Amino acid sequence: MKKLLQVSNVTKQFGGLRAIGGYNGLSFDVDPGSFTGLIGPNGSGKSTIFNLLSGFLKPNSGSIVFDGNDITTAPPEAISERGLARTFQTPRTFSSLTVIDNVIVGADNPGERLRFSWTGKWRNQEAELKHEAVEIFGRVGLSHRVNDRVGDLSGGELRMLEVARQMIRKPKLILLDEPTAGVDPKLQQNLADLLIAIHRKGTTIIVVEHNLHFLLDLVDNLLVINRGELLAKGSPEEIRSNPEVVSAYLGGQDAAQSYKN
Amino acid sequence: MNWLQVILTVVTIGSIFSVVTLALNLQYARGGMINFGVVAYFAAGAYIYAIFTHPAPEGLDQYIIGLDWPWWAGFIAAGIASLLFAVLTGWPTLRLRGEYLAVTTFAFAEVLYSFLLNERRIGNGAVGLSNIERPIRDWGTIDEKYIFAIVAVALMFLTAWIFRKLLNSPYGRALDAIRDDEGAAQAIGKSAKRMRLQVFLLSAIPIGFAGALYAMYMTLVSPRLFTAEVSFIVWIALVLGGERTIWGAMAGTFGLILLEEVITSLPFESVSAAQNAAAMNHVVTGLLFIAVLRWQPFEWISKKLEKK
Repeated sequence: MKKLLQVSNVTKQFGGLRAIGGYNGLSFDVDPGSFTGLIGPNGSGKSTIFNLLSGFLKPNSGSIVFDGNDITTAPPEAISERGLARTFQTPRTFSSLTVIDNVIVGADNPGERLRFSWTGKWRNQEAELKHEAVEIFGRVGLSHRVNDRVGDLSGGELRMLEVARQMIRKPKLILLDEPTAGVDPKLQQNLADLLIAIHRKGTTIIVVEHNLHFLLDLVDNLLVINRGELLAKGSPEEIRSNPEVVSAYLGGQDAAQSYKN
Repeated sequence: MNWLQVILTVVTIGSIFSVVTLALNLQYARGGMINFGVVAYFAAGAYIYAIFTHPAPEGLDQYIIGLDWPWWAGFIAAGIASLLFAVLTGWPTLRLRGEYLAVTTFAFAEVLYSFLLNERRIGNGAVGLSNIERPIRDWGTIDEKYIFAIVAVALMFLTAWIFRKLLNSPYGRALDAIRDDEGAAQAIGKSAKRMRLQVFLLSAIPIGFAGALYAMYMTLVSPRLFTAEVSFIVWIALVLGGERTIWGAMAGTFGLILLEEVITSLPFESVSAAQNAAAMNHVVTGLLFIAVLRWQPFEWISKKLEKK
């Protein structure tokens, strides 16, 4: 099967220190339609990997191919336009826009072209986008917040807002950076339902998450990163019984037991 | 004191400067770009208008180009000149953030100022070009000065209308997103670089037109009309009126110009009284500035107006 994402021998240095890739570089690939969890200790490079994939950082060597296109040196907006969406570890939203505009602005809107702004041609799309946004709000559980200012939202709600903004882009691949941090159990359940739904519709998902109870129910395979290198990959069952992972990340055998269903 | 004349001057000059404030409002309040050299684009428009419409040099003239073209060709050239100057200055600098861009644009304006002052072959150096072509003669029974005021007001409203359309469209929303958080905007496919350059270039065009109109009105271009003080007046007007509102930008400019014109047109008995008044002008401007920042009346008014 053709891979959706192919990361080959990627390295990234910060000030002479190799943060990603170790000696041979980091390589992994992602199948279309898969649901992958990316786990590893704090500082192991998970967010750096996301930044490399989404173009916010450029690798020092190696290549990244997404959906048949080499995106190794592409700028973030070009990668985003190819259908790779991401959220940030701390939610980033647009404070001067209303909640609903924060989502609508996410769409690839032809009405945003300079020449359309005078003709008013954008008005038709606007109604459609608004409708879509309202529907997404229903799914992420923010319906009651639609007309509020972003500043009035809680941390968990901001996180859902960021997910909603990427959803309206209908991405092929979505990278979620700790989506449940600071989110209450009810919203977490909404989020899980939402992710399952978009995954069923064919969206490929990679999620960085420390909340393993949340993660292990969702994903079909896991990548374990340690010190910028791939420590292990496999199904949740395989990872749980991998002694290296158990000692490097899960915190010993007893802790690992608790993640069994 | 001739009140009619004061009002006409305030309307004309206020409208011309309002165009610049509106452009700055677009660049700064929506585009997030700090342009401290806004006078340079204004000067580019004025000088190009002068060069295009001035007759060929003779006698003591030191300038070398005077095309003697009709006024409308000069007017169009002024807009294009300002645009080209924006390309020249914007292309290399717009990746700079905040205060770095502020310093760079300020430096560009100073370079242009000292170029115009010292390179006499452009516009006679410090002497400047006088008797700039004034296209508007009396129309029938209407006096020239009314026509000027009307044209300036029309240019102001046209600029405001175009900018308003732009900013109320999805384009304006994407621009807001880029200003609020560039990285997050890039993550949803918005090209910050492209949009910022577009806004910078687009806002330079009306500044050039305003510069041409200013040259016609003053019938003179000279470096001392285009010092950094002009940039600061426009910035103060923008702050007074409150960012992000088109009415506010205009109200702030008119308030400031009104104050200046009223003080300069007061009849003085002696030179020292005039000097005192000039000094008082700055004091009053300062106090007004503090009062406006504290109570923000123009912002309040303009918000009321925009709600309607």
